[in-house]
Formats: sequence, C-alpha cells, structure tokens
Amino acid sequence: MSRLTRAAAAAVAAGLLLVLVLAAQPWGELPRRARKIAAYAPQELPVRRLGGSGTAFDRRYFSFLENARRRLPASAEGVALYGTPSGDPYVYLAHYVFAPRPVLFAPPAPPPGWVAAIYGDGRPPDAKVLHAWAEGAIAVPREAAATP
Amino acid sequence: MTGFLGQLAQVGGVAAAAWIAGWFASRAGFPPDREFRIERIGWSWALGAGIVASMVPIAFLARVRPSWPVFLVLAAASAAGAWILRVRSAAWGRPSEGLVVSRASAYGAERPLTAVLGGLVLLGVVLYLLRTLTEPMWSNDYVAIWGLKGKTIHASEGIPSRLFGDPSLGFSHPEYPLGLPFLYSGVSFLTGRFDDHAMALLFPLFQVATLVTLFGWLRRHGATRLVAGIATAILACFEPLYSAFTTGLAEVPLSLGLLLFGTALADALEGDPGALRRAALGSTLIAATKNEGLFFAAAGCAIALLFGGERRFKAAAAALPTALLVYGLHVILRGRLPLRDFDFGSASAARVAEALGAAVRLPGVIVWMQLALLAVLIVLGRRAPEGSWLLVLCGAGLAAYILLPAFAVRGPEWLVATSLPRTAAGLAPLAAAAVAIRWRRVIAA
Repeated sequence: MSRLTRAAAAAVAAGLLLVLVLAAQPWGELPRRARKIAAYAPQELPVRRLGGSGTAFDRRYFSFLENARRRLPASAEGVALYGTPSGDPYVYLAHYVFAPRPVLFAPPAPPPGWVAAIYGDGRPPDAKVLHAWAEGAIAVPREAAATP
Repeated sequence: MTGFLGQLAQVGGVAAAAWIAGWFASRAGFPPDREFRIERIGWSWALGAGIVASMVPIAFLARVRPSWPVFLVLAAASAAGAWILRVRSAAWGRPSEGLVVSRASAYGAERPLTAVLGGLVLLGVVLYLLRTLTEPMWSNDYVAIWGLKGKTIHASEGIPSRLFGDPSLGFSHPEYPLGLPFLYSGVSFLTGRFDDHAMALLFPLFQVATLVTLFGWLRRHGATRLVAGIATAILACFEPLYSAFTTGLAEVPLSLGLLLFGTALADALEGDPGALRRAALGSTLIAATKNEGLFFAAAGCAIALLFGGERRFKAAAAALPTALLVYGLHVILRGRLPLRDFDFGSASAARVAEALGAAVRLPGVIVWMQLALLAVLIVLGRRAPEGSWLLVLCGAGLAAYILLPAFAVRGPEWLVATSLPRTAAGLAPLAAAAVAIRWRRVIAA
C-alpha cells in the first residue's frame, strides 16, 4: 500500500472515529444541564444535592438525612438509623451525609453517646425525642437524656 | 457572587496555585527545552495535585493542620528540590521531522483543519465542564468510596482508623489507595469547606492536563499538528471517560496518570532526558490513585525488561520501586487488607469464559465500530517503538480488566457490567498516544 493510500485510509478511519465519538455524545441532555446549573447555582449545597442525580432514588430520604444532620447535637458521637429502607444507595448516602460520624443501621440500641435518627412516623417508647420534622425525628434513649 | 460561584472560584484558585507549584516541581523531570514545554504543562497539574494531596498526610504526621502555610512550604520545598535536581538541557538530538514539517505547514493547507480540531478539543472540554458542574458529585462510588473518605479525613482533621477497620465501612473499600481522598481533603482544607459540587472542577482540569500532555508528547515525538490534533480531539470528546458518571471517581485521574507513566516509560527506554525521573513520578501517581496502578507499574517494569533494549534495566528500575513505596506506605498506615471484591481461589475455566463472554456482549454497535476503526488505525500505521510499548501496556491493562472479573466474589457478569466500561475507558489516553504515534511519519510525509 502506497504512503498516500495509507494516509487517505487513516484520514477516513480517524474521521469516522471522530464522527462516531461526536455522535455518541448525549447532546439531548445539554439544555437540561444548562437550565439546571442556572436554576440551582444560587441555592445552598444540600439543595443542589437534593435536586441532583445522587438523591433521585429517594429525595425524601435525603431530606430526612440532611435535616437530621443539621439537628444533631454537637456532642453526638455517632448516628443510629431506624426505619430506613434497605439497599446500598441508602447505606452509602447515610454514611456520606453524616461523615465523619459513624453510622449504624437499626442496632438493638444506640451505643452510648450516639443519637438515634428515625425515618418516618415511628417513635420508640423508651426514647426522648429531641427534634421532630416531616420526614422523621432524632432521639436519645431516656436514660441517656436523664444523665447530666 | 452566589455561594456556588464563590466556592468554584476558590477551588479554581487552589487549582491555579497547585498548577503553578507543579510547574516549578516539574523542573526535576524536564529539561528547560522548548520541545518539552507543552507536555510539561500537563505534568504540572498532576504534580501540583500530588502536592495538595500529599500535604494532608505530611501535615498530620507533623501534627499540624493542613493549610496554606503548609502547602506553600511544601510547594517551596518541591521547587527548591526540583531546582537542585533539575534536568539540564541535554543535546536534544531527536529527529523531529514531524515538528519541522508541521511548523512549515501550519501556515498552509493544514491550518484550517487544525483550527477545526482545536475547536473540537475546546468543545470536548466545555461539554465535560457542563457535565461535571451540573450538580454535586453523585456517582455511587464517589459517595461510597472516594468522597466519603475525603469528607471524613477533612472533617476529622486526621485519618480515623475506622476507615480501615470498621466492618460497617467495608463497602468503602478500605484497601483502596488514598490519593484521591487526600486530594479532596487537601483542596477542602485550603478552601475551608468540603464542597462536593465546586470540587467537581478538578475533573475538567484532569481532562485538560491529559489533552495537553497527549498533544505535547505526540508533537515532541514528531507527530504533525494534524495527527496530534485528531488524536487530542477524539480523546477530548470521548464521553465514556469524560462523563457525568465518572466525575468524582478515580478513573479520570488514573487515565492521566497512565498517560504520564506510559509516555515517560517510553521516553526512558529511548533515553530522553529526565524520563527516568518522570517514569518514577508517574509510577507514584498511579499507585496512589488506584490499586491497579501497582499492576500497571509492574507491567511497565516487565515491558521494559522484555522489550526495552539497552536501557531496559534503568527503565525497569524507574518503573516499579516508587509504586511499591506508595503501596508500602499504605500498608504501614492501614495494614494489609484483602481485595474485597475478589476471591482468587474461585477461578475456573467456566468463570473465565463467563467473564470473556460478558465482556464481548457488553459493547453496543457504536463501540464495536469505534474499536474496529481503532484496529484499522493500528494495523495501517507504521511501527514505532514508543507506540508498541504503549500498546502492550494498554493491552495488559485491558486483559486484566477483562479477566479479573473471573475472580469476582459477586460473579464475573456483575463486575464486567459495573466496572469494565469505565475502567477500559480509562485506557483511552494511553491508546490515543499509542495509535497516533504510529502515524507520525506517514502523515508527515
């Protein structure tokens, strides 16, 4: 094959590859992305996450986690979660939101110094609710609340 | 200025400072000659990001909080060290015919086409910028692994041992290297806040550094503007690597590291000035980014020994030890941890066949067409030693990515489906360099 033929073949192959790479771009999503940036940029960071892909599996759950995080006492050494759905995304998001605090899912009782975050309406009878809001509540065991 | 734009500007400021620090540090690996300048810009980002990331464990060891003074001291120390160890301008005798041809033709018929290619590169960067900045980083692996560790290290102002020993954090892969989490926490210490939206800006910067390195390396090795421009434009628009999903994950930084390591190894085998140091630095970066970095460093070492000619031992000695050092430091920090996703006793011919079958079924028609065109370009191109070494390195990585799922605890099909598309996409910069370099002499003529 002559050098010229080889170069022409390369030009065609490279050109086609470039076209295929360009064609595979998700062009349709661009307007939505531009609108989303414009709409969410002025919002605070958790609101931007709330409207994003990482919480699309259950936005109410993220709202619960974020509200719980904001209401945690500064002394809370960890968070015991109750009433949360099972599944990897639920686990990952909870650990991420509460980091660096450790998180446990439905332990028999929160370890000493920990706070319980309860998703939904259920309230353990032996707990003192510190804060309650639409998606859940945070609470501590009564004996812990009574300890000075 | 809104909160997001303000944070974005702060991350941009940290990135600019890191890039400048990296430029001065890169003096240890590059002679001051003009031919090296473009790829040195790409290296500077990687080295600068490395300085920001290494600031975190170094500050913790010194029992101080990572901060601007610590960063500046480290940057100054790197710059001073690099100046002392600087690579002097050697008799730079590469016959860069492509460079000469291209310089002459840049003002001729090639010029409009290179301008279009430059526009496509810019388009690729803008599209990735749009994807990364749409929302806070969100992929499962970002939330569960890289972001979680970075956020924990930043908020704890330390490296809690529970990151490695808490069974409830097993999903976060305690056995993974900490380079990227250290980078996230380092940037956060410098901006004063862990902002997982503004920090997404780091990823288009990794992309830009990759593109600059690719273009500069190809040009220095004699590729015309046209050849280097086409390769760079295709890579810039390669969405499987530069996607919203990979933002926050280690694949994009690793893809830059692999390009740096691979090209430096090829340079080392050719005896280019400073290349042995660059190979050692590249090896450090990839081992600190992902577990397979150590594999690639070992593969590079083997390639040097097997195919390297008279410089094989020096190149091999540059390729592996620093990666082993990074691995050793991780073992000291966290102990020896098993690879969570793999059971190496589970291999069987049936599982290997299952992994191969899953890998073959995975790509759609478009991807198969892309691979076929890549094969055409490889076959028709002229043999170039650098290209061959890079292709072997790339092939070794691809083979590992396809075969490793045979050992996956959750089955070969699962690991192929969840990881192969993005891990294989991370080889794209290496492949682009390997293929394009085979065309430097054909197109130059």
